[in-house]
Amino acid sequence: MESILTVNGLRKSYGNFTAVDNLSFEVKKGEIFGLLGHNGAGKSTSIECILGVKVPDGGDIKILGMNSVKDRKKLFEKVGVQFQESNYQTKIKVDEICKVTSSFYKNPVDWRKLIVTFGLSGKEKSLVYDLSGGERQRLSVLLALIPKPELVFLDELTTGLDAKARRDIWKYLKMLKDNGLTIVLTSHYMDEVEALCDRIHILKKGKTVAEGSVSDVISGASCNNLEDAYLYYSGEEIENESI
Amino acid sequence: MKAFKTLFVSELKLIIRDCNTIFFGVGFSAVLAVILGLVMGDKPAFEGASYTMFEQSFGAVASIGIAATGLMGVPLALSDYRHRKILRRFKVTPVSPAILLMVQLAVNFIISIISLIGVYGVSALFFGFRLGENVGGFLLAYLIVLLSVFSIGMLVASVSPNMKAAELLCSILYFPMLLLSGATLPYEIMPKVLQKASDILPLTQGIKLLKGAALGLPAENVLAPIIIMLAFIVICAAISVRFFRWE
Repeated sequence: MESILTVNGLRKSYGNFTAVDNLSFEVKKGEIFGLLGHNGAGKSTSIECILGVKVPDGGDIKILGMNSVKDRKKLFEKVGVQFQESNYQTKIKVDEICKVTSSFYKNPVDWRKLIVTFGLSGKEKSLVYDLSGGERQRLSVLLALIPKPELVFLDELTTGLDAKARRDIWKYLKMLKDNGLTIVLTSHYMDEVEALCDRIHILKKGKTVAEGSVSDVISGASCNNLEDAYLYYSGEEIENESI
Repeated sequence: MKAFKTLFVSELKLIIRDCNTIFFGVGFSAVLAVILGLVMGDKPAFEGASYTMFEQSFGAVASIGIAATGLMGVPLALSDYRHRKILRRFKVTPVSPAILLMVQLAVNFIISIISLIGVYGVSALFFGFRLGENVGGFLLAYLIVLLSVFSIGMLVASVSPNMKAAELLCSILYFPMLLLSGATLPYEIMPKVLQKASDILPLTQGIKLLKGAALGLPAENVLAPIIIMLAFIVICAAISVRFFRWE
């Protein structure tokens, strides 16, 4: 299988605080890859370094065989990104942000179709800031898919969504995956990770504590489900027991 | 180019929807032109002057649009877009965040021009004002003043660590310049002391330049303001480029 993203020995510190410590992983074409960990474990920093938004202290990163800083223009024609906190111009409307985003790309998807798929029909003329939390979250995922990407980064893709909306987004992402899209996501919901991810990577204080398929990680922790295994690897209780 | 055009239309709509820049930049200056016209009438600028007090004030009122866009519009929008990480979002697209900066300058430039047209329209229509023979000179002066004030705005956007600082700096620059540079209260009626204080404000020099061009005064009167304006452009632009941060 073709490698879409390789990260080798990524390091990033802020002063004395080590945010990411020697992170390495590989994502293959058509995979859904989950980067997990508590808040502050280094997920978002890792993604920002991978995307070239932050400058890493060390490590080697290749996306679609390219460098995210040097080949930015070419690379981001094919890579969609949803950041954890998506902010928009205060008075911008839904259709305006979609049009503007589409104008950045050579071959964008028809955003009007995405609006229907993401259940935002009739909201085109609403201000983004008047949308509900769930609607805004769906919009941010939608915007990441406008470039018709080969690889998409979704940072906490379904935070704030109700059960129905989450299921709808899962269904849509699985469909895109079947069409060859590669997805890197972070999530705090283990049911979501189990439903979507082919392989996962658990971070704790910037260090890798577990990696592999969902079943690998569960059996590696001698647990019955992913949530227990996740807490086993990332939780504080275990640390206290071992002292 | 497609991105620039789409973004330009969108940002122009946003600035109009927001009202602030339109109110302070376009509405306020046109209304002030009407008030000054009514108050001053045909009174000459001073005994034996070849031009009226109103004609003398035109350059000053015309500069209000520049101040509102350059000292409020540009720096506040850019600080806001940086603060809310909108510029960062551009970094993960094929277009550069610089495009948003360019579009902001272009949109504010257009608003400033609309303000100029408004002030001129009101002055010409109601008070028979004409720019005289030196229209080209006036437009050139206008452009120089605009560039220097916009470069001050860029400087504010560059050195402000956060939104609060940007708002504070904008207010510190904008309101004194609006009130003391002659843009609202005619420079000529100020006491000598206030005039001296006013002279250190960049916009005062800019207004002298606009006045000189509007009234067709001899070029040597405007040499000093031109040099001062150009110096502002060079210094502020250099500092902005050095300290501007995308996030």
